[in-house]
Amino acid sequence: MGTQVKDVIVKPDAPSTLLLDKHADYIAAYGSKKDDYEYTLSEYLRMSGIYWGLTVMDLMGQLPRMNRQEIIDFIKACQHECGGVSASIGHDPHLLYTLSAVQILCLYDNVDALDVDKVVEYIKGLQQEDGSFAGDKWGEIDTRFSFCAVATLALLGKMDSINVDKAVEFVLSCMNFDGGFGCRPGSESHAGQIYCCSGFLSLTGQLHQVNSDLLGWWLCERQLPSGGLNGRPEKLPDVCYSWWVLASLKIIGRIHWIDKAKLRSFILACQDEETGGFADRPGDMVDPFHTLFGVAGLSLLGDEQIKPVNPVLCMPEDVLQRIDLQPDLLS
Amino acid sequence: MAESEEEVDVLVQRVVKDITNAFKRNPNIDEIGVIPCPEARYNRSPIVLVENKLGVESWCVKFLLPYVHNKLLLYRQRKHWLDREALADITCTLLLLNPDFTTAWNVRKELLQCGALNPEKDLYLGKLALTKFPKSPETWIHRRWVLQQILRQVSAVSRSRKHPQGDAEQADADRSQRLSDQLARTLHQEMKVCSDAACRYPSNYNAWSHRIWVLQHMAEGNVKVFHDELSSMRLWVSMHVSDHSGFHYRQFLLKELITELSQTPASTTSSPQHRGSAAPSSSPPHHGHDRANGELSGAEAAGEEERRLGSTAALQLFHQEVELCSDLIRSFPGHETLWSHRRHVYYLWHHWRREHQHRCGSNRGSEPDCLNNGDPGLPKACAQSPAGEGVNGQRHAGEAMEVDGASPPDPRDSKRLKRGVQPPSAPALPSEHGFVSGILDGCCHPEQRRFALAYKKWLDTVIDQQP
Ligand SMILES: [Zn+2]
Repeated sequence: MGTQVKDVIVKPDAPSTLLLDKHADYIAAYGSKKDDYEYTLSEYLRMSGIYWGLTVMDLMGQLPRMNRQEIIDFIKACQHECGGVSASIGHDPHLLYTLSAVQILCLYDNVDALDVDKVVEYIKGLQQEDGSFAGDKWGEIDTRFSFCAVATLALLGKMDSINVDKAVEFVLSCMNFDGGFGCRPGSESHAGQIYCCSGFLSLTGQLHQVNSDLLGWWLCERQLPSGGLNGRPEKLPDVCYSWWVLASLKIIGRIHWIDKAKLRSFILACQDEETGGFADRPGDMVDPFHTLFGVAGLSLLGDEQIKPVNPVLCMPEDVLQRIDLQPDLLS
Repeated sequence: MAESEEEVDVLVQRVVKDITNAFKRNPNIDEIGVIPCPEARYNRSPIVLVENKLGVESWCVKFLLPYVHNKLLLYRQRKHWLDREALADITCTLLLLNPDFTTAWNVRKELLQCGALNPEKDLYLGKLALTKFPKSPETWIHRRWVLQQILRQVSAVSRSRKHPQGDAEQADADRSQRLSDQLARTLHQEMKVCSDAACRYPSNYNAWSHRIWVLQHMAEGNVKVFHDELSSMRLWVSMHVSDHSGFHYRQFLLKELITELSQTPASTTSSPQHRGSAAPSSSPPHHGHDRANGELSGAEAAGEEERRLGSTAALQLFHQEVELCSDLIRSFPGHETLWSHRRHVYYLWHHWRREHQHRCGSNRGSEPDCLNNGDPGLPKACAQSPAGEGVNGQRHAGEAMEVDGASPPDPRDSKRLKRGVQPPSAPALPSEHGFVSGILDGCCHPEQRRFALAYKKWLDTVIDQQP
């Protein structure tokens, strides 16, 4: 009746060096050889998909290989009358894709391609009385959307257009006994939500409200014998959760609490030597999402072949320097 | 196989109709799926209905999805007109294949708002989508929106009741009864949908956080519902000892119940654990804000009695939870989820006890016995603990515990014993350390050891360092 730890085995022949050129080729080709069906399935998050691809290209110093004008025109076509941006043309606007669009335009140093005042109005209009943010006009509340709102406003330099105190109050009401955060008050702690909430508190200058020892403890317990990190107890390790946990640890100044070398070898093992790109776990299918978080994770771990990444916004540090944005980090 | 655009057009329209007809033919379809089938068979629809299962043959999905997808987007861009019926059919097919297509759910929200769809139908569609995609965030999000519409309708009806008379009064009461029955059914159905999704995908965050949302919005303060949930979850968690989200839900229930039980007594006549009706309340219940009873003679005494019963019930809950957790940890060694649950329960207990003593301490003048009542039987708990550590073992217990240990025996304990109520034992720091040593003694399960030691460290640092 022995239980097995939910984890993966990193095989000795798994990739152990960073295959940057392969990854750049993989991302550059992604989208050109897509068949109708796959493209359709993921169109509802297209804008975020573009952000993942462009950010990882920029981190690898390969942004010029992407079609700048085409992407900017696409983003313009996705801004709606209300100011919000949709995932793709004909889809409905949402905070998630509004943030992705602004992030992309920051990479291209071209935020004015959007009507910025309208974006700000849109975000302002989604704040609720209790300080929380709805994701769109239909009213779903989630701490993810609080992060999207302040991250977008921080990138636009318009943080003062919302009630920051109230927004902070709501996010803090989602803090749990383990120091973590969930999607709403009373919800379970979850590494993705913790990333959003610690990022939110960083951008709003409220990181002192985090119990960083307690939260750091919980985050470190996400590391499994394989070196990979999971998002909650007894879940499998995953490259994307590795990023969210690692970035949160960086934000609260506890990144040295985990075994960095082991995490690095786990992330490297998730590369596909043939196609390029990263998968969630060794041997699985690669995708741009895990490719960004694999590369960004390695950057946070100090890999010097990659540009330094900002843990709060998951964007290259040099881009944030250009717009003079330096989110707080605890030491 | 269909090749030209025109052929695809005809094929897809037929398939969308077949799906709509399948639902008309069998309104009890309870599961959807894709049937692996690489090639079309002539003269046979790719839509297969077996008993209550609706299947789509895999070969047609790659035609079907892009077609309905593009059709809807053209409509959204006002480049192609679709009537309401067509929109309902197309979004249904689309969402069964790709339930995270937010905009398609939004189209249905608009159809609902103009009365072209009814909320129950949409909850049903979501339920089906979850049988194949139990995590689908957008499906859960849409559900919450639909439920909110239903709640809004109900509260609009109850607001519109303005002192009716005679027949109108009777009709109104009937209608209100119907609504409350309907809400109870909806609540029950949501719990079922969440359970099914939780069984289909382990630690299903979206399913469990939805379940919490439903209780917060449809059963707030309804202690009976919370109690029923807690009992029914007992078996479920025992069979899913790795499901962290399931255990978190239990922690949520426990916390809510403890909070309810610790409220200052309200104007209800029953004891707190029986407060609330069987039907879910859509409006916030009468919490302890009802100070009117303070004016009634004898209410204070009754209140105190109620508070005492509440404390006993709370202790009982803690006791049972710790027992359950200990049993599961011993029976299923090496599960992080169980140890994490133990932390949470202990933490809840720790804070409840502190708050209780604090609150009672500040009222000492009027309620001299409160300190004991607020924390009945705790020293006994230590004495009864399996580790056999008594009051004297409380080295780490802190000031509050010492006060408690030093206080004289509560005369009411004997009264309670006479009534046949056992003073429940609850967790205490020494008994927790005893539990950990008991596990570590002769344990060669490496993970179990690791988690036990981590728990001990957690007790020593997190709990011990708290003010
Ligand atoms: Zn992942």
